[in-house]
Amino acid sequence: MAPMRYFDEVEADGILPMTERRQVALFVTCLVDAMRPRIGFAAIEALEAAGCDVAVPEAQTCCGQPALNSGDRQDAAALARNTIRALEEYPFVVVPSGSCAGTIRVHYPEILADDPVWGPRAEALAERTWEILAFLDQVCGWRPQGVRLPVTAAYHDSCAGLRELGIKAQPRRLLRAVEALQLAPLAGEETCCGFGGTFCVKYPAISNAITDEKAAAIEASGAELLLAGDLGCLMNMAGKLHRRGAGVRAMHTVEVLAGMGDGPAIGEEA
Amino acid sequence: MNAGFKLRAAEALADPLLKVAVERTAGTAEAKRATAVAAFDAFEAARTRAAAIKDHVIAHLGHYLEQFEANAIAAGAQVHWAETADDACRIVVDLCRRAGAKSVARSKSMLGEEIGLPHALAEAGIERVETDLAEHIIQLAGERPSHIVWPAMHKTREQVSDLFRARHAEPHAEETITAMAESARRHLRTAMLGADVGISGANFLVADTGAVCTVTNEGNAELSVVPPRVHIVTAGIEKLVPSMDHAIHLLRMLARSATGAPLTQYTTFYTGPKRARDLDGPEEMHIVLVDNGRTKMRDEGLAEMLRCIRCGACMNHCVVFRQIGGHAYGGTYPGPMGAVLTPTLDGLAASRDLPQACTMNGKCQEVCPVRIPLPTLLRGWREKSWREGLEPVSTRSAVRLWAWVARRPWLYRLSARMAVRAMCLFGRRWIAAIPLAGAWTRHRDLPAPQGRTFMDQYRRRQR
Amino acid sequence: MSARDAILRRLDTNSGDVAAEARALLALPERPAVDARALIETFAERLSAPGVAASLDRIESVEQLPGAVAAYLGTYAPVPALYLPPDPAVQRLDWSSVALDAACAVDGGAALAVASAAVAETGSLVLDTAPTAPMLPNFLALHHLVVVRAKTLVAHLEDVPAPATMPRARYWVTGVSGTTDIEGQYVRGAHGPRFLHVILIG
Repeated sequence: MAPMRYFDEVEADGILPMTERRQVALFVTCLVDAMRPRIGFAAIEALEAAGCDVAVPEAQTCCGQPALNSGDRQDAAALARNTIRALEEYPFVVVPSGSCAGTIRVHYPEILADDPVWGPRAEALAERTWEILAFLDQVCGWRPQGVRLPVTAAYHDSCAGLRELGIKAQPRRLLRAVEALQLAPLAGEETCCGFGGTFCVKYPAISNAITDEKAAAIEASGAELLLAGDLGCLMNMAGKLHRRGAGVRAMHTVEVLAGMGDGPAIGEEA
Repeated sequence: MNAGFKLRAAEALADPLLKVAVERTAGTAEAKRATAVAAFDAFEAARTRAAAIKDHVIAHLGHYLEQFEANAIAAGAQVHWAETADDACRIVVDLCRRAGAKSVARSKSMLGEEIGLPHALAEAGIERVETDLAEHIIQLAGERPSHIVWPAMHKTREQVSDLFRARHAEPHAEETITAMAESARRHLRTAMLGADVGISGANFLVADTGAVCTVTNEGNAELSVVPPRVHIVTAGIEKLVPSMDHAIHLLRMLARSATGAPLTQYTTFYTGPKRARDLDGPEEMHIVLVDNGRTKMRDEGLAEMLRCIRCGACMNHCVVFRQIGGHAYGGTYPGPMGAVLTPTLDGLAASRDLPQACTMNGKCQEVCPVRIPLPTLLRGWREKSWREGLEPVSTRSAVRLWAWVARRPWLYRLSARMAVRAMCLFGRRWIAAIPLAGAWTRHRDLPAPQGRTFMDQYRRRQR
Repeated sequence: MSARDAILRRLDTNSGDVAAEARALLALPERPAVDARALIETFAERLSAPGVAASLDRIESVEQLPGAVAAYLGTYAPVPALYLPPDPAVQRLDWSSVALDAACAVDGGAALAVASAAVAETGSLVLDTAPTAPMLPNFLALHHLVVVRAKTLVAHLEDVPAPATMPRARYWVTGVSGTTDIEGQYVRGAHGPRFLHVILIG
């Protein structure tokens, strides 16, 4: 049975009675862990505000995307089993990254399809794994309360989140509840930014050309702040924007939602 | 070809004219397709049906090939079978020789390109008149197609103008595209009508009538294959459809996906050679059914790729193709579909870059009219490449080491902690240069990590 | 073993009712919406779309055809000579007001064709080869004139009746010859006709 992937298909109400606090495990992702822990703390903040008790399982490391995308199926399967073991006891797993959530939700069942023991475990975990913006919007039915950020922002739809998981309306619904925040239209908002995981270091010249075009579109939007749901994409675009001398700052959507939007952006000192 | 890909890509990236040309064609195609799709309410459901039709044919390909052959023969055509590209070329050249052909008129056929027919004809000393305008342009330039729908999309108008001035007897007087097209019309007309043999491809092979369907916007296929005495069709075996009505459903998808039109200007179904009292048409019709790896694809997990109706939408929407154009791919087919097909046609060792040079963004799959799961197929090639040891040692070591560490949480935490501290030595905000990350920092700055990992900070806060 | 045998051996032998499965795939197919009560209007609208670029004239009876053709040709200078197919239904009309060409000119002329049907969905004309209908003039001519009876106008491509026996060629003409091969810019009259004039009877 193929796991239900697109969050649009889920009817959010009726998942749990509203009186209980949801028990949620945060899968923080290796990029957030190393490069921008603020996103992890913002995620906890938002999830707690949305009525969740958040645990951070100690045994989590990397979802295995680098191995998966390199064609190293064996290592990808090993990391999948690791991750499943670390997370499967929780009713919900929430991930501040569309690509990592997609790896767990879409690809783990594929990688382990032939394994009679791990296949079902992968499917079970897949059904309970959520990208954070979809989780906050559709499962928790939450909106930020009393959060204000008077800036003009542009939203980039990261590819995995958009096309593997159907993340499109959810972040925009959530951001609309942030007072004084304006969303400027971004031409080509669904166009790949050129990061592509290992692609940007394996084919740097091509990646650069794609990222340059993306940066130009972001600059042309007139936005002061770039938002997205994936740190890899954000680092790629922010790094290019900074190299170009554009004044556009970047951060993860959940930071804004958690009321941390006035803090240091990517590349600004903590 | 491998060292070739990066080199060719670099050349393409350094060519500003190419970028202009690509945007003018693929960029326009993207916009036109979007308009056409928006105007067709049930497009998404139509895609699903189109995929189902092709899957049905692929599952029963033997049955449909036999049915097609029987009906084509009953209509007076002759059917030939070719396992390999060389076999196919040999058959075509033999047919041309038997017809005493000194020249052949060709309408565009990517299959013909795939099997190397232009080269085989040249070797046989048979003059080849390319009647499709773009194929004519690249013939003059001595190049291969760079796109499956617009073979000459890499050429700017100025480059085309220069070619025509040099090679047309009566070139255009004004520097307008209209004048250039008229120059080609004049130049090609006599040669086209004087050819001994007409060679076309087939967009569809209709099983229940034995008909061959071609679609063009110029009408050059008809002008190529109606006047000569012999009409030769070269077609991949996956072009079968059960009936004309099935073809109609796919034609609706093809035109919209390729050019944004509801239908191509000329859609022709040829059933056999001319009838006894017909006033024109070829006396002989030969259909060459070509395998060239297609049956192998079914067996190697690539069956879905056989759904492809050659619309070009995937490459028009591919961020990589939009930057490097078609020639960088180095094979007959460029873009995402080319990245899946080329390892089958040319071998994975020779083309391993193609499945790798992809961000896996999935846009190609989103626009494919027959829902080919292109990223999944590309990942399949990556897995094969890995298993066969074709990936560079540096990549293999890095990925395996990373996975080995990541399976041991305590070691992973330690490594992350150390890496983060090491990176901070190169900057606390933005890092412009750092060892081992040259590929990143050559083109963009690297935001410095905050200093402590999330897991460390979290553990601290819990105390 | 022949190539044919080698290829077919690698493919599945069949089980199940392939034809029924194929038919089932076309149950209620998705089609662009066409208002069945406004076929002529829809057809006319499609003909005038920029990618089709055909002109339309309406006459009540076939006797008016030569007059309508003369009127169209007369708007061009020099007036192109007209090739008529050896179709008795057309040949018997009074063509004295039109300069005729016994054989279609290699370029620059006009050619008349009688369509078997027309399709409102796409603005297409359906033409079939026959002893009275050659194919080549319709591609050589600069001006393509197609006469079609309104009662043969159908809504969708699938609605066109199949001929009793398949002709050598059944071809749908949807507008003028065009190309976007140079820089994606649309140009009319690439090899085929630059002008398409449809004359609808009834």
